[in-house]
Amino acid sequence: MIETLKLPSLWQTIQHALGLDQTIFTAVQQAPEGLWLAGIIVCLAGLSEAVGQSIVLLINRVRFKRFVLALMIATISHFVGYLLWTTTVWLVGGYLFERTQPWLAIASVVGLAYAPQLLAFFTLTPFIGNPFSILLSLWSLLAIVVALRAGLGLETWQAIVTSGLGWLLIQTWKRTVGRPVYALGRWLQRRAAGVPLEFTSHDVSRLRRRPYWLENLESWKSQRPLIDRHQLVARLSQSGLLLVEQILPETNRAPSQGSLEAHLPKRKP
Amino acid sequence: MADIFTFFSIVLGGLLVWAALSPFETLGWWAGWFGDQMYQDNLPSDGLVRAVRPNADRYILFLSGVGRVSGETFSRREQGFLQRLAQALPQAVIIDDIFPYSVNNLSLTGQPFFARLWRWALRCKLDGPALAGYLINVRNIWQVLVSVDRRYGPIYNQAMAEVLLHSLLRYHYDPASNAPVYLIGYSGAGQMAVGAVTYLREWIRGPIYVISLGGIFGSDPGVLAANRIYHLYGDRDKAHKLSAIAPGRWSIFPTSEWNRARRQGLIRFIKMGPMGHTGVGGYLDNKTRLPDGTIYLDKTVQVVADIVMQPMAVA
Repeated sequence: MIETLKLPSLWQTIQHALGLDQTIFTAVQQAPEGLWLAGIIVCLAGLSEAVGQSIVLLINRVRFKRFVLALMIATISHFVGYLLWTTTVWLVGGYLFERTQPWLAIASVVGLAYAPQLLAFFTLTPFIGNPFSILLSLWSLLAIVVALRAGLGLETWQAIVTSGLGWLLIQTWKRTVGRPVYALGRWLQRRAAGVPLEFTSHDVSRLRRRPYWLENLESWKSQRPLIDRHQLVARLSQSGLLLVEQILPETNRAPSQGSLEAHLPKRKP
Repeated sequence: MADIFTFFSIVLGGLLVWAALSPFETLGWWAGWFGDQMYQDNLPSDGLVRAVRPNADRYILFLSGVGRVSGETFSRREQGFLQRLAQALPQAVIIDDIFPYSVNNLSLTGQPFFARLWRWALRCKLDGPALAGYLINVRNIWQVLVSVDRRYGPIYNQAMAEVLLHSLLRYHYDPASNAPVYLIGYSGAGQMAVGAVTYLREWIRGPIYVISLGGIFGSDPGVLAANRIYHLYGDRDKAHKLSAIAPGRWSIFPTSEWNRARRQGLIRFIKMGPMGHTGVGGYLDNKTRLPDGTIYLDKTVQVVADIVMQPMAVA
């Protein structure tokens, strides 16, 4: 347990928040630096989540600099989402349960509830990343309920209703008057990426690439005796098996140096 | 006590961060961050292995376990096994200069930024302290998990298929021929072999067989794409049972690729007697004997050679 009105270091605050310690959520509301701390946690959590979801950027072959830019945009977008989330909670808490805390006090407590999302980066971990993301969602849900209960002085069921209604309000906002804002966000994301983000993680199994080293067989021949390139091309053409189907755009690829491709048949889908 | 706890927490945290970062090697390659080059170690032939033989009509690609840092093996047991296999199969080309834990066959000791670290780890592996050498195993295990993961596997396995195709072409394989290709996946490389089949199948006409030597692999689409998978396992091999951590290998998921392949008879299990996974008493041990007097290595060579000579012979 920690003293109210006095916040420990950022690291310890995060530890307490991850442990769903109710008193830290009260403390963050009352301490003068609480809002800053919450803001830092939201930004770091946003970055962590952006990295965790960056597979989509890489599948679409975003260049490294663009990748970093897209992560920054996603972090900012995450912060805007946090402001919205705070507002909806503040509205629901105020109108439905007559809790008249200042908006900034709600912002502190909601911000600290983002602490589990600091671990969103670990959803990238191969094999265990997906199960971990489910665990993280549940963890975040619990954190917001504990945060609202402590921050707004609500009963558990009231905290659940407040977060549920807050979520509904955001969904309504997204689909109605908020649409232009979200469209702007998506446009910014696309601009930052520099390539069309047309593939999602569901498309991974149907993506193919053509290896450009196949076009540089001459350099191999200088190192090892290989079958003649023309002979190889002819045989590959006969086989009809060589894959040249390309689903991805070539935006990020080096220009073709050879003409092997021209000799190859299109593979049947 | 608190210090020890802190130390282990830091080590565990470091391992987890390392694991979370590991897919970036594959994803970055796909995004074109590391270029399109395919690397090769240019290892000379010893006259048996890595030799293009006249009238070769079958190709064997040996993918080593997670202890490797490059296409070159430092294991005398592996070298002995491959040489014996080459003697038993004069019509086969045996290729082993493949590093199956890299998307472009780039050895760890040739990496642009971490080469020094891996050279140090390799020295530790060979001369001790062995614990530091296990960094190599850990790094390669992360890559095995990348191959298993459905989010990254299709990309990694495609890369591995390219590495294998590159190796086959280097040794004069004709993709338009019907020459069979045998992928021997030892230990963690079982997944690399199985994973690559789906994509290698799109490049070559000949049949592809996987010989899993105590292999560890998940329920990958490759188990259905391979013409047949032969899983060799010893009674004392506990490592190959790690495959069971992949949910698709559980019988409660009857529609998983693994269970479908089993029902279709695509997977053959071959018991190797009381063999272990590696080292003394392992599949490649040339001293320990089976109850009938056969040396472990001889048995393994014989079983693999039988499969290669007549795919349907070993049931």
